[in-house]
Amino acid sequence: MSVDPTSVAPLAVTFEALTEPAFWIGVGVIAGIYTLLALGLQVNVGFTGIVNFGQAAFMAVGAYAMAILTVKAEINFWLALPLAVLITIAFGLLVGLPALRLRADYFAIATIAMAEVVRIFAQNARGLTGGNQGISCAEDDPTLCYFNEWREASDWINDNLVFFWSDPEDLFPLLLVVWATAIAATFALTYFTNTPWGRVLRAVREDEDAAMALGKRTLRFKLQSLALSATLGAIGGFFFALNLAAVYPINFEPLVTFFAFSVLILGGLANYKGVAVGAILFWFVLEGTRFIDLPDPPFTETRIAALRLAITGLLLIGLMAFRPQGLFGKKEEMVLGE
Amino acid sequence: MYADGARFLAPRLRSKPPPVGTGRGVPEAPNEIDTPVMEAGHLTDAAPTAMRGRLEERLRQSPALAASLILIAIFIALVIGEGLHDVLQTTVNGLSLGAIYALGAVGLTLVYGILKLTNFAHGDFLTFGAYMAYLVNVTWGAPLVVAVFWAMAATALLGLLFERTLWGPMRRRRAGFLQLILMSIGLAFLLRAVIQWFWGTEIRSLDVDNTSSVEFLGLRVGETELIVIVVGIVVIAAVGLMLRYSLLGKRMRALSDDLDLAETSGIDTKRVILYTWIFSGALAGLAGVMAAATTNIRPELGFELLLPIFAAVILGGIGDAFGALAAGMVLGVMTEWSTLLIDARWKVAVGFVVLVVVLIIRPQGIFGKAKAI
Amino acid sequence: MSSPAAKSAPAQARNGALLDVDGVFKHFGGIQAVNGATFGIAPGSITALIGPNGAGKTTLFNVVTGFYKGDRGAVTFDGNSIFRHAPYEIAQRGMVRTFQITKSLAAMPVIDNMMLAAPDQPGERFMNLIVRPGAVRSRESEVREQSMELLEVFNLTQLANAYAGTLSGGQRKLLELARALMARPKLLLLDEPMAGINPTLGKRLLEHMQRLRKEQGVTFLFIEHDMEVVMNHSDRVVVMAEGAVIAEGEPHEVRGDQRVIDAYLGETQEDSTT
Repeated sequence: MSVDPTSVAPLAVTFEALTEPAFWIGVGVIAGIYTLLALGLQVNVGFTGIVNFGQAAFMAVGAYAMAILTVKAEINFWLALPLAVLITIAFGLLVGLPALRLRADYFAIATIAMAEVVRIFAQNARGLTGGNQGISCAEDDPTLCYFNEWREASDWINDNLVFFWSDPEDLFPLLLVVWATAIAATFALTYFTNTPWGRVLRAVREDEDAAMALGKRTLRFKLQSLALSATLGAIGGFFFALNLAAVYPINFEPLVTFFAFSVLILGGLANYKGVAVGAILFWFVLEGTRFIDLPDPPFTETRIAALRLAITGLLLIGLMAFRPQGLFGKKEEMVLGE
Repeated sequence: MYADGARFLAPRLRSKPPPVGTGRGVPEAPNEIDTPVMEAGHLTDAAPTAMRGRLEERLRQSPALAASLILIAIFIALVIGEGLHDVLQTTVNGLSLGAIYALGAVGLTLVYGILKLTNFAHGDFLTFGAYMAYLVNVTWGAPLVVAVFWAMAATALLGLLFERTLWGPMRRRRAGFLQLILMSIGLAFLLRAVIQWFWGTEIRSLDVDNTSSVEFLGLRVGETELIVIVVGIVVIAAVGLMLRYSLLGKRMRALSDDLDLAETSGIDTKRVILYTWIFSGALAGLAGVMAAATTNIRPELGFELLLPIFAAVILGGIGDAFGALAAGMVLGVMTEWSTLLIDARWKVAVGFVVLVVVLIIRPQGIFGKAKAI
Repeated sequence: MSSPAAKSAPAQARNGALLDVDGVFKHFGGIQAVNGATFGIAPGSITALIGPNGAGKTTLFNVVTGFYKGDRGAVTFDGNSIFRHAPYEIAQRGMVRTFQITKSLAAMPVIDNMMLAAPDQPGERFMNLIVRPGAVRSRESEVREQSMELLEVFNLTQLANAYAGTLSGGQRKLLELARALMARPKLLLLDEPMAGINPTLGKRLLEHMQRLRKEQGVTFLFIEHDMEVVMNHSDRVVVMAEGAVIAEGEPHEVRGDQRVIDAYLGETQEDSTT
């Protein structure tokens, strides 16, 4: 972020930033968060066959619920986390119950529309969400912020790290916790998928009618799948909020969902382990374009932003055209179509 | 009767044309039954007819009539509550917004219906059209009319380019629905990136006189808005008539029913597909210029319009040009009406809420037939 | 669950019928696909459902198995009304169907196709995965064993770990039948089981049906177009035309029925004109 463009010689590209721990920790945190988001999508898209384009909404509901519960309702942060997860699950079921009856393309459009409704609500319900100013601390008590407890815990972790690392980065504890969660989620989901429960999910993905004809109550499984991705979305939302020190509506644009889809497709559908690898690769490249000192002109800040968008676009197009199973997906379990 | 085993209930993720070889020679049986079978998946069950009132049955069969009655009821309620003048004024504003939605929706619905492609890049086609018009109208200083035609031509060419490079090859590989959707999202990003690279993120505007207006029955109607409304309706009506009565339109309908079947029955599908993209692109370009003329030009312009346009496509019934026109207009008007009751900053959400509600109540759309183009 | 009232709804319910279909109607828009179909199926029988194209056979299947909701009528299975019940519930009661176009779960291995169908799996409840992993595992190995046994019977053991999508059309038909049997059906509804497979395999399929009926008391109802199969392999034949049952009886009775001949003749005439 803090690169001074004047210090760069014209047409010289320096990779200095890539040697800094701050860069890697930043990439690590965001990749970990996207691993969680994309794991949720993997459950939905890769293993249940429901195209959820509303992951950003689950993040938003989770993050806002957490922030509002701690700051407005003054509930302890650690209690607010599970409560916010429950709220997000309830929201997911509320959306899923009518929308899961729709055909796949309508479901996709309905979920993205729903996500936009959530974002617009967050933008405009200023009393509750703080609107575009975002929410971070109580209005009447600027010391009451949603991240207070986390900061304490984070400092405690860093204090105990002193033996290994004399001057740890501020974000390092977040990195640890994000990845611990992401890895735990990966293992848990792998376990769930290899059970009879996961078998029904895959059957729903393959052919819902066939599953119903064999006595499976498919709607329940689809709702459970959605509840899982809502949970992961909410957790991703918490970390997003802790990474930024405020929750803004702009954090939850449809772009976030599409980034998560890029991660998902890069790693490969119907494969949990690929998600983390996809997330790290994707965010290494995207953040790399921000940190590498590209000469200005022609690389102005908006052009670098455009470059990131172009990379994402080309990645999606290229993968869909040449390697739709992603890096680790099995060709036999191609969910995208033969 | 035969294909129904595979096709009832909600179509799958990998919804595809029917398996090659099963239905080709004998279209009559499956096709007759197809429409009701598809409906049966979504529709609430046809209720025992004898018990229900006749009106309810009529409304059930003609949701457009039901929707019109609801609209009229809302209109009357608003007039009573807010006064005739305000309601009419917002209606006019709504029609101009609706014309943009509708033009975008017609292009999108053609591609959706004929090529079964949920084109998320369509919004960025609008953006592209807007910037093309900017290039001619502002950078080169040509009159707006020239800019409009240039934008339409350029966007149509863009559509053809992607058909040749992306969609055609993908179709031949029988790519699945999700594959195509994600590809179109990638394309949307790429288009927006290119635009942002050359024009940056500054807000620009066309060389349009937005101050001149017409006084009419005490209503102030901006000249630009009036042109947008008239051009929008005329163009869509023309496209709709073309689809219904011209040979090309009939061929497009055939492709929309079953692309494989159309091909085997001797229609030059390649040509029809190219025309589809020309129409889709040109209409998107026109919609983009109209949006640019009534508001301003930003790289996000089209993407922000995309969801309401999708809403219009679904409400209008996929593949139905007149449906898209009606649905686009209704969405525009509802959006503007909402400002009478709630703060204007909420109005963006109105289209989405209508979309979600309608998807839940009647997923096959309101203004279209179950299967039309 | 149905109320006792619903159970007694069909006044003329054939005593002891496993499946009783009474005056079922189903229309799509203006098309009356099923028009008051009435018939019964005795336990342990093999019944063929025949009729010209468009007679409403598959639609009736879909109504009986809950995939379509019928307009009116009554369907009683094993003493309980199942009319307009959900497909999964009907399947759980022991009426399992196959589809005209085989629905093998292509991106799942054959063994998973089989294991999926087993009833009473505690591991299908999400909570049990966390609180009762032991019970989940023990039932799972039971199910696996049963699946392997059945695959053995159908000569599919070699393919247990192959993806179902890689199987040939005939193998898929066999898999679908084997999978349906995993669900422990009392009544199996087969929609054109013989269509699109070679005669040898078809013969094997028929042998399986006879054996299953004898050994496990499974009842069969199948839609079929091949008259030779119908005449030689079914105990009873139900003939549909224009949405209604026009004849019902033993194969030789039905063969001579004038209405049946007319219905089929009508079809050939239509075919030649279209």
